[in-house]
Amino acid sequence: MRLDEADWPEKSRELAQLLARAGLGDRAAFARLYERTSAHLFAVVLRIQRDRALAEDLLQEIYVAVWKAATGFDAARSQPLTWLTSIARHRAIDSLRRAQAQPQTVSTTRDEGDDDERPDAVDAAASDDPGPLALLGRASDARELGRCMEHLTPPQRQSVALAFFDGLSHAEVAEHLHQPLGTVKSWVRRALATLKGCLERSVLRDGAREA
Amino acid sequence: MDYSRKTLADALAAGYVAGTLRGPARRRFEVLLAAHPALRAAVHEWQRRLMPLTVAIAPVAPPPRVWAAIEQRLWPAPAATPWWQRLALWRAFSGVALAAVVGLAVLVATPPPAQPPVVVVLQSTGGLPALAGSFVASFSGDGRAVVARPVTPVALQDDRVLELWWARATGAPTSLGLIRADGVTVLRHGQFPQGLKASGIDHMAVSVEPPGGSPTGAPTGPVVFAGKLSL
Repeated sequence: MRLDEADWPEKSRELAQLLARAGLGDRAAFARLYERTSAHLFAVVLRIQRDRALAEDLLQEIYVAVWKAATGFDAARSQPLTWLTSIARHRAIDSLRRAQAQPQTVSTTRDEGDDDERPDAVDAAASDDPGPLALLGRASDARELGRCMEHLTPPQRQSVALAFFDGLSHAEVAEHLHQPLGTVKSWVRRALATLKGCLERSVLRDGAREA
Repeated sequence: MDYSRKTLADALAAGYVAGTLRGPARRRFEVLLAAHPALRAAVHEWQRRLMPLTVAIAPVAPPPRVWAAIEQRLWPAPAATPWWQRLALWRAFSGVALAAVVGLAVLVATPPPAQPPVVVVLQSTGGLPALAGSFVASFSGDGRAVVARPVTPVALQDDRVLELWWARATGAPTSLGLIRADGVTVLRHGQFPQGLKASGIDHMAVSVEPPGGSPTGAPTGPVVFAGKLSL
Protein backbone atom coordinates (compact mmCIF):
# COMPACT_ATOMS: atom_id res chain seq x y z
CA MET A 1 0.00 0.00 0.00
CA ARG A 2 1.21 3.45 -0.83
CA LEU A 3 1.90 6.06 1.75
CA ASP A 4 -0.35 9.01 1.91
CA GLU A 5 1.06 12.47 2.26
CA ALA A 6 -1.22 12.90 5.25
CA ASP A 7 0.51 9.87 6.83
CA TRP A 8 3.92 11.41 6.36
CA PRO A 9 4.06 13.37 9.66
CA GLU A 10 2.04 10.65 11.45
CA LYS A 11 4.37 7.88 10.41
CA SER A 12 7.29 10.16 11.12
CA ARG A 13 6.45 10.49 14.81
CA GLU A 14 6.63 6.76 15.28
CA LEU A 15 9.80 6.52 13.21
CA ALA A 16 11.44 9.33 15.18
CA GLN A 17 11.31 7.16 18.30
CA LEU A 18 12.76 4.17 16.49
CA LEU A 19 15.54 6.34 15.07
CA ALA A 20 16.32 7.81 18.47
CA ARG A 21 16.57 4.34 19.97
CA ALA A 22 18.70 3.14 17.07
CA GLY A 23 20.95 6.12 17.79
CA LEU A 24 21.49 4.69 21.25
CA GLY A 25 22.49 1.35 19.76
CA ASP A 26 19.14 -0.44 19.99
CA ARG A 27 19.32 -3.06 17.25
CA ALA A 28 15.73 -4.20 17.65
CA ALA A 29 14.52 -0.64 17.08
CA PHE A 30 16.73 -0.42 14.00
CA ALA A 31 15.32 -3.69 12.69
CA ARG A 32 11.81 -2.32 13.12
CA LEU A 33 12.80 0.90 11.38
CA TYR A 34 14.04 -1.18 8.46
CA GLU A 35 10.85 -3.18 8.43
CA ARG A 36 8.74 -0.01 8.31
CA THR A 37 10.73 1.97 5.78
CA SER A 38 12.74 -0.32 3.52
CA ALA A 39 9.99 -0.93 0.94
CA HIS A 40 9.54 2.81 0.46
CA LEU A 41 13.25 3.53 0.20
CA PHE A 42 13.83 0.55 -2.09
CA ALA A 43 11.11 1.81 -4.42
CA VAL A 44 12.60 5.31 -4.44
CA VAL A 45 16.05 3.90 -5.21
CA LEU A 46 14.75 1.55 -7.91
CA ARG A 47 13.15 4.43 -9.81
CA ILE A 48 16.56 6.06 -10.10
CA GLN A 49 18.89 3.09 -10.17
CA ARG A 50 17.07 0.52 -12.28
CA ASP A 51 19.71 -2.17 -12.02
CA ARG A 52 18.13 -4.31 -9.31
CA ALA A 53 21.36 -5.78 -8.00
CA LEU A 54 22.92 -2.32 -7.72
CA ALA A 55 19.76 -1.02 -6.10
CA GLU A 56 19.96 -3.77 -3.47
CA ASP A 57 23.59 -2.87 -2.76
CA LEU A 58 22.58 0.76 -2.45
CA LEU A 59 19.80 -0.05 -0.01
CA GLN A 60 22.33 -1.91 2.08
CA GLU A 61 24.71 1.07 2.04
CA ILE A 62 21.85 3.40 2.88
CA TYR A 63 20.84 1.53 6.02
CA VAL A 64 24.42 1.08 7.14
CA ALA A 65 24.79 4.85 6.78
CA VAL A 66 21.50 5.42 8.61
CA TRP A 67 22.62 3.28 11.55
CA LYS A 68 25.86 5.23 11.76
CA ALA A 69 24.17 8.62 11.40
CA ALA A 70 21.19 7.86 13.64
CA THR A 71 22.81 9.54 16.64
CA GLY A 72 23.01 12.76 14.64
CA PHE A 73 19.38 12.70 13.54
CA ASP A 74 17.62 15.82 14.73
CA ALA A 75 13.89 15.25 15.04
CA ALA A 76 13.33 18.94 15.65
CA ARG A 77 14.86 19.74 12.32
CA SER A 78 13.50 17.17 9.90
CA GLN A 79 11.00 14.39 9.79
CA PRO A 80 12.46 10.89 9.72
CA LEU A 81 10.87 9.91 6.42
CA THR A 82 12.15 13.09 4.82
CA TRP A 83 15.58 12.46 6.21
CA LEU A 84 15.64 8.79 5.20
CA THR A 85 14.25 9.44 1.73
CA SER A 86 16.79 12.21 1.18
CA ILE A 87 19.65 9.90 2.10
CA ALA A 88 18.30 7.23 -0.22
CA ARG A 89 17.86 9.62 -3.13
CA HIS A 90 21.31 11.13 -2.81
CA ARG A 91 22.93 7.72 -2.74
CA ALA A 92 20.92 6.63 -5.76
CA ILE A 93 21.84 9.76 -7.72
CA ASP A 94 25.48 9.32 -6.73
CA SER A 95 25.39 5.76 -8.04
CA LEU A 96 24.33 7.10 -11.45
CA ARG A 97 27.23 9.50 -11.36
CA ARG A 98 29.62 6.65 -10.67
CA ALA A 99 28.09 4.53 -13.41
CA GLN A 100 28.44 7.40 -15.85
CA ALA A 101 32.06 7.90 -14.91
CA GLN A 102 32.79 4.36 -15.97
CA PRO A 103 33.40 3.73 -19.68
CA GLN A 104 30.35 1.56 -20.28
CA THR A 105 27.51 3.54 -21.75
CA VAL A 106 24.16 2.84 -20.24
CA SER A 107 21.49 5.04 -21.65
CA THR A 108 19.44 6.55 -18.91
CA THR A 109 17.01 8.23 -21.23
CA ARG A 110 13.89 6.27 -21.87
CA ASP A 111 10.36 6.63 -23.07
CA GLU A 112 7.48 5.76 -20.86
CA GLY A 113 6.86 2.57 -22.82
CA ASP A 114 10.34 1.30 -23.56
CA ASP A 115 10.89 -0.63 -20.34
CA ASP A 116 10.31 -3.77 -22.37
CA GLU A 117 13.38 -3.04 -24.42
CA ARG A 118 15.56 -2.99 -21.35
CA PRO A 119 15.99 -6.62 -20.42
CA ASP A 120 17.62 -5.72 -17.07
CA ALA A 121 14.59 -3.72 -16.08
CA VAL A 122 12.04 -6.30 -17.09
CA ASP A 123 10.65 -7.89 -14.01
CA ALA A 124 7.31 -8.29 -12.37
CA ALA A 125 7.20 -4.65 -11.37
CA ALA A 126 8.12 -3.21 -14.75
CA SER A 127 4.85 -3.95 -16.47
CA ASP A 128 2.78 -1.68 -14.25
CA ASP A 129 5.56 0.73 -13.52
CA PRO A 130 3.97 4.14 -13.89
CA GLY A 131 5.84 6.90 -15.68
CA PRO A 132 7.21 9.86 -13.77
CA LEU A 133 4.41 12.13 -14.87
CA ALA A 134 1.84 9.65 -13.59
CA LEU A 135 3.71 9.62 -10.28
CA LEU A 136 3.59 13.36 -10.10
CA GLY A 137 -0.14 13.13 -10.73
CA ARG A 138 -0.48 10.71 -7.84
CA ALA A 139 1.63 12.80 -5.56
CA SER A 140 -0.61 15.65 -6.51
CA ASP A 141 -3.48 13.87 -4.85
CA ALA A 142 -1.74 15.12 -1.75
CA ARG A 143 -3.55 18.24 -0.73
CA GLU A 144 -1.00 20.99 -0.52
CA LEU A 145 1.51 19.82 -3.10
CA GLY A 146 -1.34 19.06 -5.45
CA ARG A 147 -2.64 22.59 -5.39
CA CYS A 148 0.86 23.85 -6.08
CA MET A 149 1.47 21.40 -8.92
CA GLU A 150 -1.44 22.96 -10.74
CA HIS A 151 0.55 26.16 -11.00
CA LEU A 152 3.12 24.44 -13.23
CA THR A 153 2.90 24.36 -17.01
CA PRO A 154 2.82 20.86 -18.54
CA PRO A 155 6.45 20.98 -19.77
CA GLN A 156 7.58 22.28 -16.38
CA ARG A 157 5.74 19.46 -14.66
CA GLN A 158 7.19 16.86 -16.99
CA SER A 159 10.77 18.10 -16.57
CA VAL A 160 10.53 18.11 -12.79
CA ALA A 161 8.98 14.66 -12.78
CA LEU A 162 11.71 13.16 -14.98
CA ALA A 163 14.46 14.76 -12.93
CA PHE A 164 13.01 14.06 -9.51
CA PHE A 165 11.58 10.55 -9.84
CA ASP A 166 13.91 9.02 -12.39
CA GLY A 167 17.08 10.90 -11.53
CA LEU A 168 17.55 12.30 -15.03
CA SER A 169 20.04 15.12 -15.41
CA HIS A 170 19.13 18.35 -17.20
CA ALA A 171 20.86 17.07 -20.34
CA GLU A 172 18.98 13.78 -20.18
CA VAL A 173 15.66 15.52 -19.66
CA ALA A 174 16.48 17.76 -22.64
CA GLU A 175 17.29 14.76 -24.80
CA HIS A 176 14.19 12.97 -23.63
CA LEU A 177 11.90 15.89 -24.37
CA HIS A 178 13.76 16.91 -27.55
CA GLN A 179 14.27 20.40 -26.19
CA PRO A 180 17.32 22.63 -25.95
CA LEU A 181 19.24 22.25 -22.70
CA GLY A 182 18.77 25.91 -21.75
CA THR A 183 15.01 25.64 -22.12
CA VAL A 184 14.83 22.57 -19.89
CA LYS A 185 17.03 24.19 -17.29
CA SER A 186 14.77 27.18 -17.07
CA TRP A 187 11.64 24.96 -16.95
CA VAL A 188 13.02 23.07 -13.99
CA ARG A 189 14.23 26.21 -12.28
CA ARG A 190 10.93 27.99 -12.71
CA ALA A 191 8.96 24.92 -11.70
CA LEU A 192 10.89 24.61 -8.44
CA ALA A 193 10.58 28.32 -7.75
CA THR A 194 6.83 28.17 -8.38
CA LEU A 195 6.46 25.18 -6.07
CA LYS A 196 8.44 26.89 -3.37
CA GLY A 197 6.46 30.11 -3.59
CA CYS A 198 3.16 28.26 -3.61
CA LEU A 199 4.06 26.01 -0.66
CA GLU A 200 5.24 28.98 1.35
CA ARG A 201 2.03 30.85 0.65
CA SER A 202 -0.06 27.87 1.74
CA VAL A 203 1.96 27.58 4.95
CA LEU A 204 1.27 31.25 5.60
CA ARG A 205 -2.41 30.71 4.81
CA ASP A 206 -2.59 27.77 7.24
CA GLY A 207 -0.83 29.87 9.84
CA ALA A 208 -3.28 32.73 9.33
CA ARG A 209 -6.23 30.37 9.59
CA GLU A 210 -5.00 28.91 12.84
CA ALA A 211 -4.20 32.31 14.31
CA MET B 1 24.29 37.31 2.81
CA ASP B 2 22.96 39.62 0.11
CA TYR B 3 19.84 38.85 -1.83
CA SER B 4 21.49 37.57 -5.02
CA ARG B 5 23.73 35.17 -3.12
CA LYS B 6 20.78 33.96 -1.13
CA THR B 7 18.86 33.33 -4.33
CA LEU B 8 21.78 31.47 -5.82
CA ALA B 9 22.19 29.37 -2.68
CA ASP B 10 18.50 28.51 -2.80
CA ALA B 11 18.64 27.60 -6.49
CA LEU B 12 21.64 25.36 -5.90
CA ALA B 13 19.95 23.69 -2.94
CA ALA B 14 16.84 23.13 -5.06
CA GLY B 15 18.89 21.51 -7.82
CA TYR B 16 20.75 19.40 -5.31
CA VAL B 17 17.60 18.05 -3.73
CA ALA B 18 15.68 17.67 -7.00
CA GLY B 19 18.65 15.80 -8.40
CA THR B 20 19.41 18.04 -11.37
CA LEU B 21 22.64 19.37 -9.89
CA ARG B 22 25.10 16.79 -11.19
CA GLY B 23 28.71 15.97 -11.80
CA PRO B 24 31.47 18.23 -10.47
CA ALA B 25 28.94 20.91 -9.52
CA ARG B 26 27.19 18.46 -7.23
CA ARG B 27 30.46 17.46 -5.60
CA ARG B 28 31.48 21.09 -5.10
CA PHE B 29 28.12 21.82 -3.56
CA GLU B 30 28.56 18.92 -1.13
CA VAL B 31 31.88 20.37 -0.03
CA LEU B 32 30.28 23.79 0.47
CA LEU B 33 27.43 22.24 2.44
CA ALA B 34 29.77 21.06 5.13
CA ALA B 35 30.96 24.60 5.75
CA HIS B 36 27.83 26.70 5.30
CA PRO B 37 24.88 26.41 7.68
CA ALA B 38 22.77 28.65 5.43
CA LEU B 39 23.16 26.18 2.55
CA ARG B 40 22.29 23.30 4.85
CA ALA B 41 19.17 25.13 5.95
CA ALA B 42 18.17 25.70 2.32
CA VAL B 43 18.71 22.01 1.56
CA HIS B 44 16.59 21.02 4.56
CA GLU B 45 13.81 23.25 3.35
CA TRP B 46 13.87 21.73 -0.12
CA GLN B 47 13.91 18.24 1.28
CA ARG B 48 10.91 19.06 3.39
CA ARG B 49 9.11 20.41 0.31
CA LEU B 50 9.98 17.73 -2.20
CA MET B 51 10.37 14.42 -0.34
CA PRO B 52 6.61 13.98 0.20
CA LEU B 53 6.38 13.67 -3.61
CA THR B 54 7.84 10.19 -3.19
CA VAL B 55 4.63 8.94 -1.56
CA ALA B 56 3.43 8.41 -5.11
CA ILE B 57 5.90 5.59 -5.65
CA ALA B 58 4.45 2.17 -4.88
CA PRO B 59 6.61 0.43 -2.25
CA VAL B 60 8.78 -2.48 -3.37
CA ALA B 61 9.75 -4.91 -0.64
CA PRO B 62 13.46 -5.67 -0.83
CA PRO B 63 14.47 -9.34 -0.68
CA PRO B 64 15.45 -10.69 2.77
CA ARG B 65 19.10 -10.96 1.71
CA VAL B 66 19.42 -7.15 1.93
CA TRP B 67 18.65 -7.10 5.65
CA ALA B 68 20.89 -10.12 6.19
CA ALA B 69 23.74 -8.26 4.48
CA ILE B 70 23.11 -5.12 6.55
CA GLU B 71 23.25 -7.11 9.79
CA GLN B 72 26.38 -8.86 8.63
CA ARG B 73 28.05 -5.54 7.87
CA LEU B 74 27.01 -3.76 11.03
CA TRP B 75 27.42 -6.59 13.48
CA PRO B 76 29.63 -9.28 12.01
CA ALA B 77 29.13 -12.39 14.14
CA PRO B 78 32.33 -13.19 16.01
CA ALA B 79 33.71 -16.64 15.29
CA ALA B 80 31.27 -17.72 17.90
CA THR B 81 29.90 -20.76 19.60
CA PRO B 82 26.30 -21.64 18.89
CA TRP B 83 25.59 -20.34 22.38
CA TRP B 84 26.86 -16.92 21.67
CA GLN B 85 25.07 -16.63 18.38
CA ARG B 86 21.78 -17.34 20.02
CA LEU B 87 22.08 -14.54 22.52
CA ALA B 88 19.77 -12.15 20.69
CA LEU B 89 17.12 -14.81 20.54
CA TRP B 90 17.62 -15.58 24.20
CA ARG B 91 17.07 -12.02 25.22
CA ALA B 92 13.82 -11.92 23.37
CA PHE B 93 12.60 -14.99 25.13
CA SER B 94 13.91 -14.28 28.59
CA GLY B 95 10.61 -12.86 29.79
CA VAL B 96 8.79 -16.01 28.80
CA ALA B 97 11.36 -18.16 30.54
CA LEU B 98 11.08 -16.14 33.73
CA ALA B 99 7.32 -16.62 33.72
CA ALA B 100 7.82 -20.34 33.26
CA VAL B 101 10.25 -20.50 36.17
CA VAL B 102 7.88 -18.64 38.46
CA GLY B 103 4.98 -20.86 37.43
CA LEU B 104 6.88 -24.06 37.91
CA ALA B 105 8.25 -23.02 41.28
CA VAL B 106 4.74 -23.58 42.62
CA LEU B 107 5.10 -27.26 41.85
CA VAL B 108 8.15 -27.80 44.04
CA ALA B 109 6.20 -29.68 46.64
CA THR B 110 5.25 -32.50 44.26
CA PRO B 111 7.32 -35.59 45.05
CA PRO B 112 9.59 -36.39 42.11
CA PRO B 113 9.68 -39.75 40.33
CA ALA B 114 13.01 -41.49 40.69
CA GLN B 115 15.22 -40.82 37.69
CA PRO B 116 18.90 -41.41 37.02
CA PRO B 117 21.25 -38.41 37.30
CA VAL B 118 22.57 -36.71 34.19
CA VAL B 119 26.13 -35.58 33.73
CA VAL B 120 27.10 -32.80 31.30
CA VAL B 121 30.63 -31.89 30.33
CA LEU B 122 31.05 -28.22 29.43
CA GLN B 123 34.05 -27.61 27.20
CA SER B 124 35.94 -24.38 26.88
CA THR B 125 34.54 -22.28 24.02
CA GLY B 126 37.67 -20.19 23.64
CA GLY B 127 35.50 -17.15 24.47
CA LEU B 128 38.27 -16.09 26.83
CA PRO B 129 41.49 -17.81 25.87
CA ALA B 130 42.75 -17.58 29.45
CA LEU B 131 39.94 -19.81 30.67
CA ALA B 132 40.87 -23.23 29.39
CA GLY B 133 39.76 -26.61 30.65
CA SER B 134 36.29 -27.91 31.24
CA PHE B 135 33.43 -27.98 33.72
CA VAL B 136 31.31 -30.91 34.81
CA ALA B 137 27.71 -30.42 35.86
CA SER B 138 25.64 -33.27 37.21
CA PHE B 139 21.90 -33.12 37.76
CA SER B 140 19.62 -35.19 39.78
CA GLY B 141 17.31 -36.84 37.24
CA ASP B 142 14.46 -34.54 38.19
CA GLY B 143 16.61 -31.48 37.52
CA ARG B 144 16.07 -30.17 41.05
CA ALA B 145 19.67 -30.17 42.10
CA VAL B 146 22.79 -29.39 40.12
CA VAL B 147 26.35 -29.99 41.19
CA ALA B 148 28.93 -28.06 39.17
CA ARG B 149 32.68 -28.22 39.44
CA PRO B 150 35.66 -27.37 37.25
CA VAL B 151 37.78 -30.30 36.21
CA THR B 152 40.78 -28.17 37.09
CA PRO B 153 40.48 -24.85 38.97
CA VAL B 154 39.73 -21.91 36.67
CA ALA B 155 41.75 -18.71 37.12
CA LEU B 156 39.31 -15.83 37.01
CA GLN B 157 39.83 -12.08 37.26
CA ASP B 158 39.07 -10.86 40.80
CA ASP B 159 36.15 -8.69 39.75
CA ARG B 160 34.40 -11.36 37.71
CA VAL B 161 32.20 -14.31 38.58
CA LEU B 162 30.97 -17.38 36.71
CA GLU B 163 27.28 -17.95 36.09
CA LEU B 164 25.69 -21.24 35.02
CA TRP B 165 22.86 -21.27 32.47
CA TRP B 166 20.64 -23.75 30.76
CA ALA B 167 18.40 -23.43 27.74
CA ARG B 168 16.19 -25.25 25.31
CA ALA B 169 17.16 -25.53 21.64
CA THR B 170 15.25 -22.33 21.03
CA GLY B 171 14.40 -19.84 23.71
CA ALA B 172 16.04 -17.83 26.42
CA PRO B 173 18.62 -19.27 28.75
CA THR B 174 17.76 -19.50 32.42
CA SER B 175 20.28 -18.76 35.09
CA LEU B 176 20.92 -21.55 37.54
CA GLY B 177 23.06 -19.30 39.68
CA LEU B 178 26.65 -18.33 40.30
CA ILE B 179 29.21 -21.08 40.56
CA ARG B 180 32.65 -21.26 42.04
CA ALA B 181 35.66 -21.22 39.76
CA ASP B 182 37.79 -23.22 42.19
CA GLY B 183 35.54 -25.92 43.59
CA VAL B 184 32.19 -27.64 43.93
CA THR B 185 28.93 -25.66 43.87
CA VAL B 186 25.60 -27.24 44.68
CA LEU B 187 22.53 -25.46 43.31
CA ARG B 188 18.97 -26.41 44.06
CA HIS B 189 16.07 -25.60 41.79
CA GLY B 190 12.47 -26.47 42.05
CA GLN B 191 12.20 -26.82 38.30
CA PHE B 192 10.98 -29.55 36.01
CA PRO B 193 9.02 -31.88 38.28
CA GLN B 194 8.28 -33.90 35.16
CA GLY B 195 11.98 -34.61 34.83
CA LEU B 196 14.82 -33.07 32.95
CA LYS B 197 14.02 -34.98 29.79
CA ALA B 198 10.50 -33.57 29.59
CA SER B 199 11.80 -30.05 30.17
CA GLY B 200 13.36 -29.83 26.72
CA ILE B 201 16.56 -28.37 28.18
CA ASP B 202 19.41 -29.36 25.92
CA HIS B 203 22.25 -26.86 26.44
CA MET B 204 24.27 -25.62 29.35
CA ALA B 205 26.79 -22.84 29.48
CA VAL B 206 28.96 -20.85 31.83
CA SER B 207 29.40 -17.13 31.24
CA VAL B 208 31.71 -14.56 32.81
CA GLU B 209 29.67 -11.88 34.59
CA PRO B 210 30.17 -8.85 36.82
CA PRO B 211 29.97 -9.41 40.60
CA GLY B 212 26.48 -10.47 41.60
CA GLY B 213 25.81 -12.10 38.25
CA SER B 214 24.25 -10.90 35.00
CA PRO B 215 22.33 -7.69 35.56
CA THR B 216 20.03 -8.39 32.60
CA GLY B 217 18.82 -11.93 33.22
CA ALA B 218 20.68 -13.12 30.12
CA PRO B 219 24.40 -13.84 29.74
CA THR B 220 26.26 -10.56 29.27
CA GLY B 221 29.88 -11.65 29.41
CA PRO B 222 31.57 -14.07 27.09
CA VAL B 223 30.33 -17.65 27.26
CA VAL B 224 33.42 -19.54 28.29
CA PHE B 225 32.17 -23.10 28.68
CA ALA B 226 29.32 -24.82 26.88
CA GLY B 227 27.97 -28.32 26.54
CA LYS B 228 25.02 -30.32 25.28
CA LEU B 229 22.82 -32.53 27.38
CA SER B 230 22.40 -35.98 25.97
CA LEU B 231 19.44 -37.60 27.64
